Amino acid sequence: MADNESIVIERTPEGVGGWLVDRVAFYLKLTPEEVDPQIGLADYGLDSVYAFTLCAEIEDTLGVPVEPTLIWDVDTLAALTEHVMALVAAVESA
Amino acid sequence: MDAEKTSPHGGLPGAALTGSAMDALLGDPAEETNPVGRTAVLAADERREMLAEGEKLLDAVVLNAEFVPAGLGGRFTSVPRLAEVLRAVWRRDPSLGAGYGFSSFLAAVNVWCAGDAAQRRHTADVLLGGDRVAVAFHELAHGNDFAQAEFQARAQGGGWQLTGRKETIANLCRARALVLFARTGAAVGSRSHSEFLLDKAELPAAGWCDLPRYHTSGMRGLQLGGMEFTDCPIPGTALIGAPGQAVEIALRAFQITRSMFPAVCVGSLDTALRITLDCALERRLYGGTVADIPFVRSTVARAFADLLAIDALASVGVRALHLAPESTAVYASASKFLGPRMMLDAFEDLRAVLGAQGYLRQGPHALFQKLFRDAAPITFTHASRGACLSTILPQLPRLARRSWLSGPAGPADLFDLDAPVPPLDFQRLAVGMPTTDGVIGALAEMAENVRAPGREDPLSRLVARFGAELGELRSRCAELSPSDLTMDAPAAAYELAERYTVVLAAACALAVWRAGGERHPGRPDAGLLGVLDRLCGRLPGAGVLTATERASVEAQLFDLAVARFTDRALFDLTARPIPG
Repeated sequence: MADNESIVIERTPEGVGGWLVDRVAFYLKLTPEEVDPQIGLADYGLDSVYAFTLCAEIEDTLGVPVEPTLIWDVDTLAALTEHVMALVAAVESA
Repeated sequence: MDAEKTSPHGGLPGAALTGSAMDALLGDPAEETNPVGRTAVLAADERREMLAEGEKLLDAVVLNAEFVPAGLGGRFTSVPRLAEVLRAVWRRDPSLGAGYGFSSFLAAVNVWCAGDAAQRRHTADVLLGGDRVAVAFHELAHGNDFAQAEFQARAQGGGWQLTGRKETIANLCRARALVLFARTGAAVGSRSHSEFLLDKAELPAAGWCDLPRYHTSGMRGLQLGGMEFTDCPIPGTALIGAPGQAVEIALRAFQITRSMFPAVCVGSLDTALRITLDCALERRLYGGTVADIPFVRSTVARAFADLLAIDALASVGVRALHLAPESTAVYASASKFLGPRMMLDAFEDLRAVLGAQGYLRQGPHALFQKLFRDAAPITFTHASRGACLSTILPQLPRLARRSWLSGPAGPADLFDLDAPVPPLDFQRLAVGMPTTDGVIGALAEMAENVRAPGREDPLSRLVARFGAELGELRSRCAELSPSDLTMDAPAAAYELAERYTVVLAAACALAVWRAGGERHPGRPDAGLLGVLDRLCGRLPGAGVLTATERASVEAQLFDLAVARFTDRALFDLTARPIPG
């Protein structure tokens, strides 16, 4: 997205998790503090369009391949952070 | 393609159908004694019945086999060829095309994409045995918003229990099997619905009933039915794929049928244009024929150009399923949006030429009013315009950033309409978010080539215009924020999605003409210029051609249309000879 060019994200659970919280907060027009990593993204009202968009952002920003349906299956930010970290590790060890 | 053994119904006519074979089968429409001629088509419509003799003919050639992959004993190998065959049926009678079997194909693609071996075998056997499969997705209360569908399947024992209503489903009453979309989870989101394959003969009689037939103003022969289920038990083996996969399966499988939709429906615009010319050339008004009136000549020319534009967009769209499946999550919706919309507009324009003749339900041109009514649902059936645009819109920012202006053109065969296509790989159809756009890549390449100074001819100026539009779209789409992309997106964002479909159509036309060379009508000075001029008219801003240039293009297109009419040749890109 336009406001998301050239940002550097540390490939740590804190770095990736914090960035994901920031993105979701931006989508929802909330502050990062208001986003609970344990609540399902669909329950926040993030529909399939946002899910696709977030998948694309993860793929483009972190350089890891992401299925467009990822967020349908891994619904909370906590679980998503864990999943994305595994993808990052897989890419780095490849 | 599946490699399973062929079905026990081995004695099928082996030869795959072609458009010409279907034309020959349906014969001369003007022949009064033809049981599937215009008179019979109109009479069936007045009775709100399917054209029975037409269904018999299609039974005799086992049209259903065209819907079944060759690996399962059918003849389905190529979407472009299937579209050409069905276009020939649509040219005669859209109700026959939709009501005989396209709805079976809509259902079946879900099974071909995601069904297990037994489900694929069963669906193939139902179709090859001459029966129909209905696609039971629709609930009137939720329209195209399938994720909100309420029809429930509750897990029980090893199976499921169905409760709810499915409404306005083609052939539901006379189908033997159905593919059903049901809610299987309470959570919001895209994993709460599942698809089931049911054989009506195996449902317990106490668990369901048919609802009365629905009547409509167009497609009046179509048997639109409903079913109501009450705690109806079905076995666990009915589930297609895994629980919660329905939205994903439908998003993939319906790329095939959404892409085919305009490629098939455009057949009825060919007939409408033929009726219009028939009327205009023979009818005498104000001391000459109707065709002498300049307004009529330019309306005919424009409708002809629109038909060619729809054909170019749709033909590349169905070829992309084979040759660029990674991009069809966008192309299918673009084709389904713009093709039907242009077609309805062209119908409206032609009706102005026919005047009262386009309204009368009797007389030599009575078929026009039926085709006009039959065309009305094309913009909302099988994904509405809003549903198509809201599918396209979220994919554009990423394509803008990753592909447009920098990505390569698609493979040459994507645009060469005579080249054979490789087998369709259902598994390569992706839910969404493509990163490449080879059709737009072709336009970017051509726009780059006309940048040389001194290129002031009409074609170069039109190419430059679409190239500039692409550049503008790229900047605007790359800047869209996530809140601009949802169903609640501002109208301006939707306008970008709409403009993308127009640019995509222009890219298809340019690339098809470039690949087809002299095969396509009128060389660049008429056919292609007419198509691009019409598409330009759908973009904001001034046109490219001068009034003199447009008049010259339209005069050539009118003459070409009259020649096709007189010589009995199709108006589409094939210009194939026809019985009438």
